[in-house]
Amino acid sequence: MANPIEPTNGAARNGKQSAFRPAPDQQPEEEYGKAYDIRLIRRLWRFLVPYKRLFFSALLLLPLLQVCGLAQPYLMKIAIDRYMAGGDLRGLLGIAALLMVAVLGEAVSGYAHYYLTMLVAQRSLADMRVAIFAHVQKLPMSYFDRNPVGRLVTRMTSDVDVLQEMFAAGAMTVLSDFVMLVWIVAIMLYINVTLALVSLALIPPMFFAINFFRHKARRTYRLIRERIARINGYLGEAISGMAVIQLFTREEKSYREFDELNAAHRDANQLSNVYEAALYSMVEAAGSVSLALLLWYGGGEALAGAIGIGTIVAFKEYINRFFVPLRDFSQKYTVMQSAMSSAERIFQLLDTPIAIDNPPKPIVPKPFTGEVRFENVWFSYKPDTPVLKGVSFTVQPGERVAIVGATGSGKTTTIKLLSRFYDIQGGSIKVSGVDVRDWDLSALRRHIGVVLQDVFLFSGDVRTNLTLGESGVSDECIAEAVRCANVERVLSRHSDGLGAHVRERGSNFSTGQRQLLSLARVLVFQPEILVLDEATSSVATETELLIQDALEKVMEGRTCLVIAHRLSTIRNADRIIVFHHGEIREMGTHAELMQKQGIYYKLYQLQYATDEAPKPVDDDTAAKL
Amino acid sequence: MGRLWTYVLRYWRRYVLGALCLLGTVSLVMWIPWLMRGAVKVIEQGGSLWDVRYYAALIAVAGVAQGVIRTFSRAFIFNAGRDIEYDIRNDLFAHLEKLPVGFYHAQRTGDLMSRVINDISAVRSLLGPGILNFVNAPAYYLYGIVLMFSIDVRLTLVALLPCPLLMYAVRRFRGRILKSSLSVQRQMAELSSHIQENLSGMHVVKAYTQEANQIRDFVELNRDFQDKNMELARLRGLLGPVMQALAGMMILLVVGYGGWRVIRGDLLIADIVAFIAYLHVLAWPTAAFGWMLSLIERGRAAMERLEEIFKIEPAIASPAVAQAVGNGKQGIEFRNVSFAHDGKVNGEAIIKDIDVVVPRGRTLGIVGRTGAGKSTLAQLIPRLYDVSSGEVRIGGRDVRSLSLGELRKVIGYVPQDPFLFSTSLARNLAFSRDEVSDEEIEAAVQTTRLDRDVAIFPEGLQTIVGERGITLSGGQKQRATLARALVADAPFLVLDDCLSSVDAETEDVILRGLRSAIDEKTCVIISHRISAVKEADEILVLDEGRVIERGTHQDLVARGGLYADLYRQQQLTEELEHID
Ligand SMILES: Nc1ncnc2c1ncn2[C@@H]1O[C@H](COP(=O)(O)OP(=O)(O)OP(=O)(O)O)[C@@H](O)[C@H]1O
Ligand SMILES: Nc1ncnc2c1ncn2[C@@H]1O[C@H](COP(=O)(O)OP(=O)(O)OP(=O)(O)O)[C@@H](O)[C@H]1O
Ligand SMILES: [Mg+2]
Ligand SMILES: [Mg+2]
Repeated sequence: MANPIEPTNGAARNGKQSAFRPAPDQQPEEEYGKAYDIRLIRRLWRFLVPYKRLFFSALLLLPLLQVCGLAQPYLMKIAIDRYMAGGDLRGLLGIAALLMVAVLGEAVSGYAHYYLTMLVAQRSLADMRVAIFAHVQKLPMSYFDRNPVGRLVTRMTSDVDVLQEMFAAGAMTVLSDFVMLVWIVAIMLYINVTLALVSLALIPPMFFAINFFRHKARRTYRLIRERIARINGYLGEAISGMAVIQLFTREEKSYREFDELNAAHRDANQLSNVYEAALYSMVEAAGSVSLALLLWYGGGEALAGAIGIGTIVAFKEYINRFFVPLRDFSQKYTVMQSAMSSAERIFQLLDTPIAIDNPPKPIVPKPFTGEVRFENVWFSYKPDTPVLKGVSFTVQPGERVAIVGATGSGKTTTIKLLSRFYDIQGGSIKVSGVDVRDWDLSALRRHIGVVLQDVFLFSGDVRTNLTLGESGVSDECIAEAVRCANVERVLSRHSDGLGAHVRERGSNFSTGQRQLLSLARVLVFQPEILVLDEATSSVATETELLIQDALEKVMEGRTCLVIAHRLSTIRNADRIIVFHHGEIREMGTHAELMQKQGIYYKLYQLQYATDEAPKPVDDDTAAKL
Repeated sequence: MGRLWTYVLRYWRRYVLGALCLLGTVSLVMWIPWLMRGAVKVIEQGGSLWDVRYYAALIAVAGVAQGVIRTFSRAFIFNAGRDIEYDIRNDLFAHLEKLPVGFYHAQRTGDLMSRVINDISAVRSLLGPGILNFVNAPAYYLYGIVLMFSIDVRLTLVALLPCPLLMYAVRRFRGRILKSSLSVQRQMAELSSHIQENLSGMHVVKAYTQEANQIRDFVELNRDFQDKNMELARLRGLLGPVMQALAGMMILLVVGYGGWRVIRGDLLIADIVAFIAYLHVLAWPTAAFGWMLSLIERGRAAMERLEEIFKIEPAIASPAVAQAVGNGKQGIEFRNVSFAHDGKVNGEAIIKDIDVVVPRGRTLGIVGRTGAGKSTLAQLIPRLYDVSSGEVRIGGRDVRSLSLGELRKVIGYVPQDPFLFSTSLARNLAFSRDEVSDEEIEAAVQTTRLDRDVAIFPEGLQTIVGERGITLSGGQKQRATLARALVADAPFLVLDDCLSSVDAETEDVILRGLRSAIDEKTCVIISHRISAVKEADEILVLDEGRVIERGTHQDLVARGGLYADLYRQQQLTEELEHID
């Protein structure tokens, strides 16, 4: 269709940032490569396979669409040259009827093609989103240490969106566009060779010009995507940390930083606007100049009667139909390119090995004894900086063991290893006599209930935070957990009880209250091995003691590992392990350790020194620790 | 919408220039079919070749000229839209920075983000392409109709017969597309909020093997999203072909009816050629018309969503005339302070009638049960929240009479939730000021005993700490936030339970270091551990938002109340030991 006027294309694409890309994406994201990468297309194709019938039906409509479109100028030519000039009214009406068929055919097949394509796109992309989400659930924790949440959200939302755009913008039909261009040239040549050559004279120079702008535009598109990702990242962090920004009155500084990102984004966009405007206008101008050439040369032919007016009209139409895809092609090409780079990143994510996965023959030992055994465990997060250095200890079934030690000494790491959040580099960790790497992963984790130091509440209500949406949790079970963890008091302020609303990250509860809620959560799940990592560090001592008494019953017969800095928390432990710089320095009962007069003894003295003045610790001992 | 106009007016020159260029483009574009008609007329009526070529030359000139002018019109208008987008985004960010903590607690991060990113983009589409088409479409129509009428009235009327249908189609689609695209946007926000929360809480998801449940929820949201997208695709996809078909019908009518008249001899083929050309020109503004309307509607809805944020007056702001921070003897005073989150002081208050003075250079300790209101009380000092009644004074002046920036600059605050930015440790520590010397950082690192940790890190202070400090241990995170406050070197210091994840040994060393570091500072220290507060000049015991006991450590222990209980409880193990 002739289109000398403002397009919807460029503008619509720029305005369509429907995807919300929240957090940091510091690294340059966009690697613009080829627009068609066979390897990637083959993988994309796998997502289309389930819908290949729909897909091929959509493709089959394309020839129909093209025939209906290309027939119209030709029919007009006949209408004018043969029937209007020839004064044949019946023939004219016949042609009009054909024209009507072509117009309707173009509209209907156009709609059907679009609809089918979108159906395929939506369904396969929805599948893809689920595939990514499900894959991400299996990735090891180390992956999440390195990759900002925002970037992963981007993969599942805006990157998939870019693929959708590829379908919507008709980038998939670029090939058939080519076919159409060939057809147009063929038809024009068929009608009149010299006229065709004259009208298409501008195409070679146009080709170069479009190529030039495409290169320019491609660079700016890459910049734009990179920069909006930065804005996203910055914004996400600024919103989460707004209290800190305000407390340190860094508003102006963050504003300046934001402004810089924002301005960079604007500049890239304005540059691309100029390129787009120039390219667009150039194609329009070329269309008019071609028309002028057509008349310049064709005028003589027409006057000589060699061609009819209808031929000129048809040629004008064909020129338009030729230039529009040519112009759009540059846009489709960029869409295609960014789709390929999105696909690349998505597949990269999907290819990220599930470093921590079920073994080929997962074991679920029966009976489950609850014994935990660390044997010469070596572990480091980053190469060459071991966090655990040959840790060995055993927790007997039903035993209660406390882990204490200086901050950063590797206590949390130890229990993360127990649940196999990370895999160790040396030694072995056995639960119930079986190495955790041979365990069925989810069975292992279901046996171990961990309250992590990093309390996390989901937005929703208290009940779903306790059950995590697990069905089949009895009300008594919840009530018992609530009572045990002293959550009743927390809820007393809320009229809705368990239905009390929980805001993002539990921001409407005090820090201690959040800890109590996450403690209650583990109790709801009634695990065989209970692991508490500083589970009550921000809870008042009084409450803590109440909880401990209540936990007595819960812990009965369960293996328990308790990490705490406050020694009052671990007063009921059977045995105490003292960590120091990733090694076990002392191990034994309270009495034994007191006797030893080592680290534990000192910690104990510090906390319970009865004299009112703080006991000075000479620098010697401090240095030793 | 008032706000939008102020932005548009800021760039009115470019809009006017852009509009003038547009009118120039439209005039030239509409001239071309007229010239073509002239050329065809010459051919039809058998004129000279040079007459045809004269028209051809004019078409070439008009074509090139319209191309040049068009470049300017698009650049002017689209770039003005980009400038406004930039302005609004900056203004919104600045506004967000002024909104108090309470606002953020009531918001979902995902929702706010999508306003700053997506809604502003939608507004920009309204201001760029939206305004462009808003000028374009009427101009084309006006020109087109006038020119066609001047060629032939009856043919024009016939050609425009499908117009009412067109109007009808536009009206029908407009509202539905808007509604549908809004619901897609909303569902998108839902979906990404779910993903975001799932990823932030991944350690919990894994620990409780909730992967399957999470996937199930996701699949459900995703299906909804897919349906809504399909609904939108159906509407959007329909609008184009419908418009196209209607435009095709117009041409058909011209060919049919016009052709009949040509055969009858009362119309020239040249006229028909011109009509077809004009209808082609009009086809796109027509199709773009519906699109433009939905663009405008969407932009307006987005602007409304932005306005919702803009119109929130920062509840906590500097007063019009700010006093300087006084240096009176009174350090921090709470005068009959009450506080409730909804501002109403009755049964639901979280802080009730608190009356305390902390003289300059002295330390106030606060202990109390979980949820007693300790953190809330501390947050009143730097005005993270404002009192509901009573007043908080600092240096003898009501905190509300000081400039907010000045107030916060004199307070070093360590929040209970350690929050670090995902940059290097050094940059986190130096967060409070632009220029921080290495010595200052070094000193804070020493005081908080981070030196030993840093010594182990391969990259030392340049270690990137990950989002929220994810790659640090609990105690390291807390101490980093403490060090950050110490680097700020403010005369007032508020420590909210900032050593809860630190072992007794390290705590002891830190506390002793702190005591000398904060000698002249006025401090408020909140803790659950007696060890952290017992040196304080006065200790408050809070319960249910009230002060139930106050005095020095000795006084309180002697009194035998809640504090003495607490003290005894923390000593309990030792007593047990003695009994052994
Ligand atoms: N995800 C991680 N990536 C890299 N390093 C880490 C990560 N988590 C912890 N570390 C480092 O490993 C060491 C041990 O951390 P861990 O969390 O086990 O200490 P912790 O004993 O629990 O200390 P705390 O008592 O402060 O909680 C610390 O130096 C810490 O910086
Ligand atoms: N944004 C909020 N909206 C509503 N209620 C809140 C909000 N923040 C806190 N609360 C409630 O206010 C009370 C006091 O909270 P605060 O954080 O001051 O307690 P706290 O004494 O610091 O407790 P902790 O020792 O656990 O830190 C709690 O009951 C809490 O649930
Ligand atoms: Mg820890
Ligand atoms: Mg608190």
